[in-house]
Amino acid sequence: MNSEQQNATLRKMAQLMRDGLKTQTEPFPETEKEFAAILEELRRLDPGDLEGKMVISGFVDHPYGPDRQRCMECMYYLVHRQWCDLPELAVPVEADWWCRLWRI
Amino acid sequence: MANLLWLQGGACSGNTMSFLNAEEPSACDLVTDFGINVLWHPSLGLELGENLQKMLLALTSGQMPLDIFVFEGTVVNAPNGTGEWNRFAGRPMRDWVTDLCKVANFVVAVGDCATWGGIPATAPNPTESEGLQFLKRDHGGYLGKDFKSKAGLPVINIPGCPAHPDWITQIVVAVATGRGGELSLDEFQRPKTFFTSFTQTGCTRNMHFAYKVSATEFGQRKGCLFYDLGCRGPMTHSPCNRILWNRQSSKTRAGMPCMGCTEPEFPFFDLAPGTVFKTQTVMGVPKDMPTGVDKTGYIKLTAAAKAASPRWAEEDIFVV
Repeated sequence: MNSEQQNATLRKMAQLMRDGLKTQTEPFPETEKEFAAILEELRRLDPGDLEGKMVISGFVDHPYGPDRQRCMECMYYLVHRQWCDLPELAVPVEADWWCRLWRI
Repeated sequence: MANLLWLQGGACSGNTMSFLNAEEPSACDLVTDFGINVLWHPSLGLELGENLQKMLLALTSGQMPLDIFVFEGTVVNAPNGTGEWNRFAGRPMRDWVTDLCKVANFVVAVGDCATWGGIPATAPNPTESEGLQFLKRDHGGYLGKDFKSKAGLPVINIPGCPAHPDWITQIVVAVATGRGGELSLDEFQRPKTFFTSFTQTGCTRNMHFAYKVSATEFGQRKGCLFYDLGCRGPMTHSPCNRILWNRQSSKTRAGMPCMGCTEPEFPFFDLAPGTVFKTQTVMGVPKDMPTGVDKTGYIKLTAAAKAASPRWAEEDIFVV
């Protein structure tokens, strides 16, 4: 994905969330078992199904929970690329967003 | 001249293969340069049948001195505590172990199986295996926690799956040349000279660890293997990145997570599905932290490190 495509995808994701896209923020995967089950769901999607990825992984466009978790501290987030490096997602993200595949 | 005897219990011979690959010093150097008389070894011994049995009896009776007894593999106690599943030279191997440990000046356990039970002792442990002086983390094992060899030392544990060749030969040389008493052992009876630093010490991915950039798939040359791929380098005591394997590399340098094989719990999580090559987390936070780091400190450090991470940390810097 070149930077133009990346920006366009980022804008599209932001717009979907602004428009009220309902995503599965709960339950948060307590252990690897539940985490792996979500990844399995993601793998069944068409890699280009952006909305599907966002719904299953529970994207929101703001920090989440009492600890105000956000992509910025997630291990999959590449700060300079503004990119989620989890292979099953592989999407541009903003530092202040969050999803339930958050890991630190 | 120091007499050395090497026997195998419940073993895959991995430590024998490792020993035969030693370079500094080599297995041949032990004989030619350090005056070690290898009485018998499973892959090198010449005696067979009755001749071997006679030699073992000469050792256990004290007719022939035994300076170093090296044991590889678990002590097999099955079935029902008899040890009959692992017979050697006419009797259960565990009976030879009992008698040989009584007469040996030094007893050296090589590899995870001999030290803590390793893979054979993983639940449900059908062979009733245990290490010489430990069963996993529990002190005791086959010989009991009070065991001391004639030289006054407990079993010297050289763990690993397998142990690095040079850890084995260097400890054997130290013992054979009269420096065994100088060996300082840690709480798991591992020589501190090898097992005080961490596998992570010297890892080429340390910069990625520091800036919290993760490898997320095998084959990536950027990123630390601890965060996602289950690497145990930050909490495993071994010099794997200081004393390189084949003088060339290490697991983590080659992109393979450390599996923590020098620690008593190996294999971790009893090899339950989904636990290998995947960092275990609870609510998104690693279950096992780098040694000495608590959860609060880890979270604070992550936030600071991510905020400070340079662009290059996200890229493959090992460009040929």
